[in-house]
Amino acid sequence: MKPLRALWVILCHWPLGLGLVATVGLVYGGLYLWLIGDLGGGGTGGLHAVFPAWERVWETRGPFHFEPVGLIEAGPLVWTFSPINSLLAWGLGMLLGTNLTLGWRLRRASRACGWQASGSSFLSSLPALLAGGACCAPLALIWLGLPLAGALASLTPWLIPLAALLLLASLAYLTKVLASSVS
Amino acid sequence: MHGSHRILATLAVLLLSSPAAGAGLPTVDPPEVAVPHTLEAFRQAVRSGGPAKDGIPSIDRPRFHSAHAADDLLEDGDRIVGLYLDGEARAYPQRILVWHEIVNDELAGTPVSVTYCPLTGTALGFHRGDTELGVSGRLVNSNLVMYDRATDSQWPQILGVAIDGPLAGQGLEELRVIWTTWGAWKARYPETRVLTQETGHVRNYRRDPYGSYNPTSGYYLPESGRLFPVMAKSGRLPPKATVLGFRTEEGAAAVTTEALRRQGVIDLAVGDNHYAVIHDSGLDTGWVLHNPQRTEIRLDELQFGPEGVSGGSTEGLSSVNAYEAMWFAWEAFYPDTLLYRGDEEPRP
Repeated sequence: MKPLRALWVILCHWPLGLGLVATVGLVYGGLYLWLIGDLGGGGTGGLHAVFPAWERVWETRGPFHFEPVGLIEAGPLVWTFSPINSLLAWGLGMLLGTNLTLGWRLRRASRACGWQASGSSFLSSLPALLAGGACCAPLALIWLGLPLAGALASLTPWLIPLAALLLLASLAYLTKVLASSVS
Repeated sequence: MHGSHRILATLAVLLLSSPAAGAGLPTVDPPEVAVPHTLEAFRQAVRSGGPAKDGIPSIDRPRFHSAHAADDLLEDGDRIVGLYLDGEARAYPQRILVWHEIVNDELAGTPVSVTYCPLTGTALGFHRGDTELGVSGRLVNSNLVMYDRATDSQWPQILGVAIDGPLAGQGLEELRVIWTTWGAWKARYPETRVLTQETGHVRNYRRDPYGSYNPTSGYYLPESGRLFPVMAKSGRLPPKATVLGFRTEEGAAAVTTEALRRQGVIDLAVGDNHYAVIHDSGLDTGWVLHNPQRTEIRLDELQFGPEGVSGGSTEGLSSVNAYEAMWFAWEAFYPDTLLYRGDEEPRP
């Protein structure tokens, strides 16, 4: 529990860090929803929301991709809202944000204090960043019209759980380093 | 009769009297269209497209509104798939079809499936009998692989022949559907009904995930690349160039839309038979007629109405189904296709 407490203490007493986690989470979550097609253009300028399909909340369109239950129009944006897709998007986003923020914090601290292990703590945030991007990679490639998307399409079922696992593993490592540096 | 024997006898009667698998789906056996690769080769070329089975949901309870109501949602240049059957006309907007790919509908009491694959730019209609077609989530040559809900047989849309399942090797009964613009369709069929956005699913029908046809952009640009591997390619045309293709038991033929517009009528030979491909300038599509005697078609006497082409010596010529397709997909399915571009003599 010590690493988790250290993480909690750090974030609660560090408004900038908390802000960074929230910002990265929000941006990543929005990008994720854009790439899976839940968020897009086509809005007519007003604010409008309807939720006609709550019964479809658990219906899947593909691996880790759920049916929208409602449609929200806000300005130029149209959001076909699925609570589960949104939880996945912002859950992964917060994990990625926490990883990057802690990696950055440890890197700064290492420069100030000259820790031996600090270089690896920064490097550990790189897999997290790659994992965070990997789950949307096939969708991004399809969006960009690159032929590689076809080859990656069969991998999509594995990329989201893989990304979540890598982000959690990376977070566990960073919090451990953080806890040992605090003690 | 002993009790267990009676149960067995009852079961036997039930099994013998039950309809054969897939009896609800009208099929053609053997198919009347060319199957240029083996079924095994097609099965090996099947790829996951990403979505799960029915992850792209077919529209099974379609609703329709008037052309006047549709004018508020569609521009004249927007693409639609049109179907005219027994005096009824229906338009299915591409911007709705791109999210569903199949509409299980009924026209004048006839159950039909209107299908559209955005990755190959193909729209085909099929008789569906008592069952429905659905989206398997798989692709062959980037083309939608449908499944039927009676037998779960797998049907690549362009081929119209099952490559897997109990109906493997059999063909579907095809219906002519028209790939055209909303403006052209409503001019020909002013009483048409139009598929509404009340599909039973929530989608952003103002956005096409692949690009746009009005104006053409993204994936639909002629020179843009394809996403999935194909069974054959040659580079004779840009990958997404639009061709009008038709197939017979003897082979397949395609003409470029530019050549068709320019020439009006094209005479093509597939195997031992001759066909007239006639441009319909109103709908900007083509009609293919079997023309075994090579009767001269008089361009200036042709008439185009709700039923298609008439006049100009076309009387008595039987119609052959044809549909527009992106060149790369047509060629992948029919590598030996005859291609007519208008700048050369027809050649295999």
